[in-house]
Amino acid sequence: MTTQITQAPTPASRAKGLLKNQQFILVLVLIAMVTFFSLKNHIFFTNAVFANVLSDWIPVVLMAIGETFVIITGGIDLSVGSVVGFSGVVTAFAMRNLTAHNVNQNTTLAIGLLVAVAVGCGIGLINALLITRARIVPFVATLATLGAFRGLCIVTTGGGPVGEGPDSAIALTVPKYGPFNSPGLVVVVLVVIIGLYLHKSRFGRYTYAIGSNSFAARSAGINVKAHLTKVYILSGALSGLAGFYLYLRLSVGSPSSGQSGELDAIAAVVIGGAALAGGVGKITGTVLGSLILTTVTSGLIIIGVAPNWKQVVVALLIAAAVFSQGLRNWTKGGDL
Amino acid sequence: MSQNRDGRTPGVTTFEREIMTSSIKRRSLAAVAIGASAVLAAAVVPATTHAANKLTIAFVMGAESDPFFQAMKVGAIAEAKVKNVNLVWQGDPSVYSPATQIPIADAVLAQKPDGLVLIPTDPTALQATVTKAVALKIPVVNVDTHVNDLTNVISFITGDNADGGSKAADAIAKAIKYSSSKQFQVAVGLTSATATTNVARLEGFKAQIAAKYPNITIVDVAYSQSQPAVANTNVSNWLTKYPKLNGIFAIDGTNADGAAAAIQAKGLVGKVALVGYDAYKKNVDLIAKRVITALIAQDPAQEAKLAIDTLVDYIGGKTTGIKKNVVIPNFAIDIYTHASDKKKYTYVQK
Repeated sequence: MTTQITQAPTPASRAKGLLKNQQFILVLVLIAMVTFFSLKNHIFFTNAVFANVLSDWIPVVLMAIGETFVIITGGIDLSVGSVVGFSGVVTAFAMRNLTAHNVNQNTTLAIGLLVAVAVGCGIGLINALLITRARIVPFVATLATLGAFRGLCIVTTGGGPVGEGPDSAIALTVPKYGPFNSPGLVVVVLVVIIGLYLHKSRFGRYTYAIGSNSFAARSAGINVKAHLTKVYILSGALSGLAGFYLYLRLSVGSPSSGQSGELDAIAAVVIGGAALAGGVGKITGTVLGSLILTTVTSGLIIIGVAPNWKQVVVALLIAAAVFSQGLRNWTKGGDL
Repeated sequence: MSQNRDGRTPGVTTFEREIMTSSIKRRSLAAVAIGASAVLAAAVVPATTHAANKLTIAFVMGAESDPFFQAMKVGAIAEAKVKNVNLVWQGDPSVYSPATQIPIADAVLAQKPDGLVLIPTDPTALQATVTKAVALKIPVVNVDTHVNDLTNVISFITGDNADGGSKAADAIAKAIKYSSSKQFQVAVGLTSATATTNVARLEGFKAQIAAKYPNITIVDVAYSQSQPAVANTNVSNWLTKYPKLNGIFAIDGTNADGAAAAIQAKGLVGKVALVGYDAYKKNVDLIAKRVITALIAQDPAQEAKLAIDTLVDYIGGKTTGIKKNVVIPNFAIDIYTHASDKKKYTYVQK
């Protein structure tokens, strides 16, 4: 008979383990940023600024959560920014017509929400069909829909903002619960549910399985095409929701809304620790990654640095995140 | 075809893999080719279908998503019809940038139009486009903004941007009840640091403040890149950073959109004066709601009309009446403006 002796983790090994945890590092980065911006200008550490950060965060995290699912499957969705723009424009037209017919404002907003999500689902389905049926690689398929729907934003609006919707739209974006507005709270609940769905459900396990090894996943009986279709529709739906939020925030459907949103979404996912090769990624990482991006935006304005520096900071964060992934793989015995 | 992280499909031979890869590449290339062909066809049609004796004038503007250019397009189309001109209207859908404008201008020049109306998004970067046009013997008119060296540009037609900035300073001073016994803070939202319209408006604004309102301090400036959401983020943060902010000068329509939404969301309607530029209907309506204090209106349709008329005259040999610089006056709209003037100066949109 042999006795196995397990050593209790020492404080040093525990600290080493924590430093290998990307989410823990991201929390440290976030705390460091908040501290830095607050020391440079104490106004940063106020409810009003946190409200600004969270208001910017909502559309970014919605796009990024969908992108996380897609990237975990080993794909990419470049169309999320265009979905935001097009769904915002279509919902603005719908709500303008309903307002012109004196439909109750709450009903108008509810229908507007459904329209935006439906538009997002529709574009997600187009992406999925291009990828799974036409067998176009995700990068090219979603690059095509990025261009097509950004163009349609201009064609349908003639280039201008679409307004004259319900007056109560902007009021919904006013913070009511600390720094959170009502849509913000809904998004937090939604993110938690989706996070649990990814990490605890069969759907989530299939998502990771396809990204890790799609052939093995198919051999194990997973309907890969059907699953990828659901994932791209989910990504479209969440971007449609982001488009609806930007409509509420501006009280207009702007054809330029969501411009370059795909870059923010992908940056948030990569900073959050997901691997573009697929099979790796966490919702908590994406939430923190998107929060860091929007904190940088507001922080630079508050301390009086040109917001163009955001691109430099984001580039450094992406490089650090990818380097840290490589370092972890190396310490596990992989190639650096 | 799904792949693992090595980029390979397990259980598939090299030969099969090559066939699949080649198939995917073919399909992807086909999709790209179809998309590109459709876009090129759409872009080329206007220039290739014109009658042999009809002039073709290309209009390369800044960003289609800016309603200022929509109003200009309405004027250009109307005048092209009157003058029996084939109009090629081109520009990036939404990005106001030399990086996106230069390839568009090059593609337009390749079609060899009879004349070019260019709204340069950057005075230095677009200088080469003017040089290329002149080398091809294509006369160039600048509208709204101009290149650094106007020697080879037959006419520059613009609203008086410096005067617009000056009028904006007057409107803000009036709204905040300026007095020499108090200090005031204002911020300025721009679209780009280099667009000559933005620069001229800002300079006009600063000059008027220095001359007449020395107790007003410009505490911040930021850039929106023609995106209302970016302008909204900038202004939301200003309203927090500067609790004593008295006014905002939104230097164009997209900045006014974003600033108006931020002021409403922060519950500061009537407390922070907002003077915008460009009389889009939606923003003119916000004057009645006291969200926007005043708007400086230009006449983009008139600018387009004059640009086409100038080129038609020049190509037709009537060069004597052409002025090198044409400045169209601005008009400030506020709550006291008569309804007929509001209607006259509100931009016609699609």
